[in-house]
Amino acid sequence: MAAPLLEVRNLKIGYPVWGGILRHKVDEVQAVDGVSFTLRKGETLGLVGESGCGKSTVAKAVINILRATVPGVHQQGEIIFHTTDGPVELLGLSRRRMRPMRAHIQMIFQDPFSSLNPRMTIGSMIEAPLRLHTARTRKERIDRVHWLLERVGLQASQASRYPHEFSGGQRQRIGIARALAVNPQLIIADEPVSALDVSVQAQVLNLLADLQEEFDLTYLFVAHDLSVVHHISDRIAVMYLGHLVEIGAADTVYLQPAHPYSRALISAVPEPDPQADRSGRVVLEGEIPSPLAKPSGCAFRTRCPIVRPECAEAVPPLEAKETGQLAACPFS
Amino acid sequence: MERDENAAKNPDGAAGDRAPLLSVRDLATYFRVEGGVAKAVDGISFDVMPGEVLGIVGESGSGKSVASLSILRLIPDPPGHIARGEIRYGGRDLLKLSYQEMRSIRGNEIAMIFQEPMTALNPVFTIGFQLIETLRQHHPQMSKQEAFERAVLRLEQVKIPDAAKRMRDHPHQFSGGMRQRVMIAMALCCNPQLLIADEPTTALDVTTQAQIMELMLTLRARREGGSIILITHDLAVVAETCRRVIVMYGGKIQEVGTVDQIFSSPRHPYTIGLLESLPSAQRGKDRLHTIPGNVPYIMDLPTGCKFCTRCEKVIDRCHQEEPELHQLKNGQLVRCHLVEDEAVKVSGDMPSTTTSAPAP
Repeated sequence: MAAPLLEVRNLKIGYPVWGGILRHKVDEVQAVDGVSFTLRKGETLGLVGESGCGKSTVAKAVINILRATVPGVHQQGEIIFHTTDGPVELLGLSRRRMRPMRAHIQMIFQDPFSSLNPRMTIGSMIEAPLRLHTARTRKERIDRVHWLLERVGLQASQASRYPHEFSGGQRQRIGIARALAVNPQLIIADEPVSALDVSVQAQVLNLLADLQEEFDLTYLFVAHDLSVVHHISDRIAVMYLGHLVEIGAADTVYLQPAHPYSRALISAVPEPDPQADRSGRVVLEGEIPSPLAKPSGCAFRTRCPIVRPECAEAVPPLEAKETGQLAACPFS
Repeated sequence: MERDENAAKNPDGAAGDRAPLLSVRDLATYFRVEGGVAKAVDGISFDVMPGEVLGIVGESGSGKSVASLSILRLIPDPPGHIARGEIRYGGRDLLKLSYQEMRSIRGNEIAMIFQEPMTALNPVFTIGFQLIETLRQHHPQMSKQEAFERAVLRLEQVKIPDAAKRMRDHPHQFSGGMRQRVMIAMALCCNPQLLIADEPTTALDVTTQAQIMELMLTLRARREGGSIILITHDLAVVAETCRRVIVMYGGKIQEVGTVDQIFSSPRHPYTIGLLESLPSAQRGKDRLHTIPGNVPYIMDLPTGCKFCTRCEKVIDRCHQEEPELHQLKNGQLVRCHLVEDEAVKVSGDMPSTTTSAPAP
């Protein structure tokens, strides 16, 4: 088994709720509530769940941009990144000490256009991280930009063009080239293909798989499309209202989910086959509760088809199931 | 006997002999843009039968949304205009109606729901106000009390808990799934015969998507002959809900068939490529099949077959000559030179007998 690259231990993130005439902090939303997982070198971990479950917050915490983007955010727990020089705890790092770490951890966003500066040529955008993180000369940097563009399936001659001249799929390729520029070890992909057309989505997924093999990359792949996550991931983690409810090998979690929430989530995925048997579908009643009024005990109990009175008492811990995965439900 | 079989398999299936609810013939919608005319929809013909759920699939730029907006004459003019064609509904050509007549068709006869309900609901008025206003607009004789009761009933039908209380809430107080329910309630509040749903679940989570699709299908089943046109890029949703599918690319219909035909024996290279590029649990984790290249910009569409620049089976002829729609023996319609030997050419305007139901 490969060595761990990233360890998240008991991560808790609270977003402040501002109120009153003086706009002071009146409450806190627990967006992530005690999440732990380990990411091994070279693997892809898919993080899934409905909107508002905290999956993107986990991704942002790993790259440590929450303090800059959400004033008053409350972060607790440990995020340990194993560099070649030993482990580094990311959560407490100052801005200055975090910067060199960003050469190892890069991010790909959902909407490549909003993550690209419309006034910069794509060449200078891909070059920017090289200027920040490496001591290469201008000539070396430009050579690398051209090489990267060709590696992601574009042409070196396109370096002087602007983002609006590219289609959605090409823009995502540019985003990938920029993330790759500094030879990162870990890439966090937040919904990287959900804005793309089906035919282009397959191209980008194949590119991500090829690059992983070529550069020994580790992916944390956050997405809501379960068939895509199952395809690209080695392991899948399912989140619900800030809790990790199930984690295990991709095939096990997707084909034999243990937690009642994962079962409902996966059975709701439509299948592109008119003859498919849909009798086993669990259509959940109601909606995901507001994180401000989270149910006591198991967060899923208000919608759970197999709920019992005990579920209200304590948050169930992750436990090993016969099929091999960990699930936070003692009754499944 | 295939038709009967299909009707039995799909309880929502339309009887083949009935007259279509809506007939679109040779519809073309163009947009004037810098440097020319963008042919967003370029001569499409299809029928919607009473009681049918018809799927229109395609990627961005295929013309599927413009086609649906054209049916309700909601194309912003300028820059767009309906260049030619006929949209027959209830014995009338919708394209020849006056502005006033068209207004009474919208909502009463044909209603539409959109992908992002937040843009279709007015953020400064309560849901109740908007529902009551819609009802009284279409039924001026209805009293306020009656309209209120009817609005609450509609919200209850779309399973909004505490409907009477939620009437006083504004759109931002509803979640995404609940807003889409409100949109459905509003679309259905005057009992339309035809519901056009343009990517109704694309912005929603899978669990909510399953709820909304189920809701749309059950509400439609309550009304005799109520039909749905479902416009989506999601082939899986089509496989689950529709009886017939139209595949569009580059402003043209490329393939038409029952869901069973399209998913088990697709014939157009574009349909084949689309289906193969979906990740699936059965196919394992090998590389995905891809369609090379990108969806071309609408002004750069090739002169021959619209798909020839990305097609794996392209022959010389494809670059010069656009194929006609051909009908296979099983009734499937395909626009490709490669099926010509085994199929019959369908004239530009397809006869309704071949498009409305698979031929026996």
